[in-house]
Amino acid sequence: MITVHALTRRFGPHTAIEGLDFHLEKGEVVGFLGPNGAGKSTTMRILSGYLPATSGSAEVAGFDVLRESLEVRRRIGYLPESVPLYAEHRVEEMLEFQGRLRGLSRADRKKRIPAVLERAGILDRSRAIIGGLSRGQRQRVGIAVALLPNPEVLILDEPTSGLDPIQRLEMRKLLVELGREHTVLLSSHILPEIEAVCPRVIILSKGHIAADGTKDELVRQLGGGAKLRLEAVVGADVAKAVRLLKSIRGVSDVRDCGRLGVHHVFEIPCAEDLREDVGALAASRGWALRELSWQRPSLEQLFARIALDLPHDEPAPVAAPAPEVNEAQASVQLTLPKSEPAKPAMKVLNPFETPAAPTAPPAPPKVVYNLNPFDMGATRDLSKPKAIDGPGTPPAEPRP
Amino acid sequence: MTGAWTIYRRELAGLFLSPLAWVLLALALAFNGFFFVVSIKGFQGDIGQSMSFLLGGSYTFWMLVVLLPPLLTMRMFSEEARTGVLEFLLTAPVTDLAVVLGKLGAATTLMAVLWSSSFFYGLVAAALGTAPDWTPLASGVLGAILVSALFCSVGLAVSALSNTPLLAAFFAVIANVAILSLPYIDVLLALPPTSPVRMVLGHANVITQFQASFVVGAFDTKHALFFVVWTAFFTFLATRFLEARRWW
Repeated sequence: MITVHALTRRFGPHTAIEGLDFHLEKGEVVGFLGPNGAGKSTTMRILSGYLPATSGSAEVAGFDVLRESLEVRRRIGYLPESVPLYAEHRVEEMLEFQGRLRGLSRADRKKRIPAVLERAGILDRSRAIIGGLSRGQRQRVGIAVALLPNPEVLILDEPTSGLDPIQRLEMRKLLVELGREHTVLLSSHILPEIEAVCPRVIILSKGHIAADGTKDELVRQLGGGAKLRLEAVVGADVAKAVRLLKSIRGVSDVRDCGRLGVHHVFEIPCAEDLREDVGALAASRGWALRELSWQRPSLEQLFARIALDLPHDEPAPVAAPAPEVNEAQASVQLTLPKSEPAKPAMKVLNPFETPAAPTAPPAPPKVVYNLNPFDMGATRDLSKPKAIDGPGTPPAEPRP
Repeated sequence: MTGAWTIYRRELAGLFLSPLAWVLLALALAFNGFFFVVSIKGFQGDIGQSMSFLLGGSYTFWMLVVLLPPLLTMRMFSEEARTGVLEFLLTAPVTDLAVVLGKLGAATTLMAVLWSSSFFYGLVAAALGTAPDWTPLASGVLGAILVSALFCSVGLAVSALSNTPLLAAFFAVIANVAILSLPYIDVLLALPPTSPVRMVLGHANVITQFQASFVVGAFDTKHALFFVVWTAFFTFLATRFLEARRWW
């Protein structure tokens, strides 16, 4: 339905997208994911016929978007990010206008306008003036406008931006429904949104396709960070243990992460789940196992890694702290000696009176290291000091 | 061209839904009415002369025709580009030309409403005993509509270039004045009377083209064509500028 080949668009010296290649089958629901400025909107604008591409080609339903633009536009329902609507018109007038532009007959308009308004959940405001609608309601009207001609392809640029959580949920439901009847390409920079609606995700980063596939495929494709973690008592000869682990099929590298009490920690990067093999080895060698886990990065971590342009094997920055760890951390911090509370600066009410003595400079922030031995950096990077700047600071805020 | 017709209807509704059109109409009518009364006094009750004074015979007419169209067209592209509605129009299955023609038609229609108020003056004069000569009145209104269409197309072309309505209006007024002063360039250039440039410039005189035919009550296709061709030229420019926006 949509075929894009080597699509490039430059704005002067700035390259918005470069060499995009992807293909959408009829009926597919695909999410464009990427940080702001990754080129999502530019790609969608090219597909909708609003912007011409600098080079490369794009086809929608077999028509070239540049040379047969009108044919393409007839087959597309496009909702730009800004949700363009005439503020001075009523909702039904806007839809009437769209219906006429798309060449719907009077009977069709009469039938479809209430239907799409109902579908978008805004039928009760059909007489309202668009300028007076809230952002969420405008978004719904925008969806109704895009849906009105019953297009084969729906291109929705950030359909959930600016909505409150409940509206988001409803919009997601609507999008899932629409995905059953139309070929849908939608964009978002919010991952759960895309995950909930689109079976297939295309991740854009800096104008390039960073990944393309279903969620599982992506995790496999980008899963450079998948690893097995082994914590066991292996005895004195660590090198031998490493050799043994390396002899397992599928293991190419074993990282020795040092001792933790009597236990030894190994990390084994592997794309597949090898827990059983390692477990069998441990059992046959009589190693006392304390932990054997396979850690796979979530799509969220992959996305964050792409967005922040980190190499694949670096730990992903998003990791939710475990609540019990937080408590332990909190208690450690609470027992630390507190610094002198900084004196609040005296407020000078008389503008002509300069304070005789400068108020004491605020105490330098106290540096505290996480002392929790069980934490192992799950909640934060141990190499970075954490600052506590006063007694008023609530301890151990959950990291975002 | 159903697209152009649809857009024309939407634009006209949009114009009349905005307070600006009403304010401009009211001010222009008050202005016209004032000068009509003044001119009747000045011409000692000669309705025919007052009518031609109102429609092209005076600088009050040219002031209105230079100032009003830019104010009507200034928002048509620049404002829509800002609110993003232009993206909606340019991704609808209509050509850029249809978009420009629809908007040009709407702005010209509003100007036509203003000029056709002259018929009302004629009716009032007829009711009071002195019926005006209706033919020059009709040709005057027709000519005024043609001139307005020309200046509206200039305004649209400028509006397609700018994202700030006020700037668009300002430059459109300047462009309109420049078009009116085109024949006076030869004064600046001090050309010999037989110079072909001077002849061309002499023909590009909007005011004399208008006054030679419409004001005196003669409909000459030569003069009508003059306005139609210039309007077509600026409509073409507006369409090209609109297309150029896509490449920015």
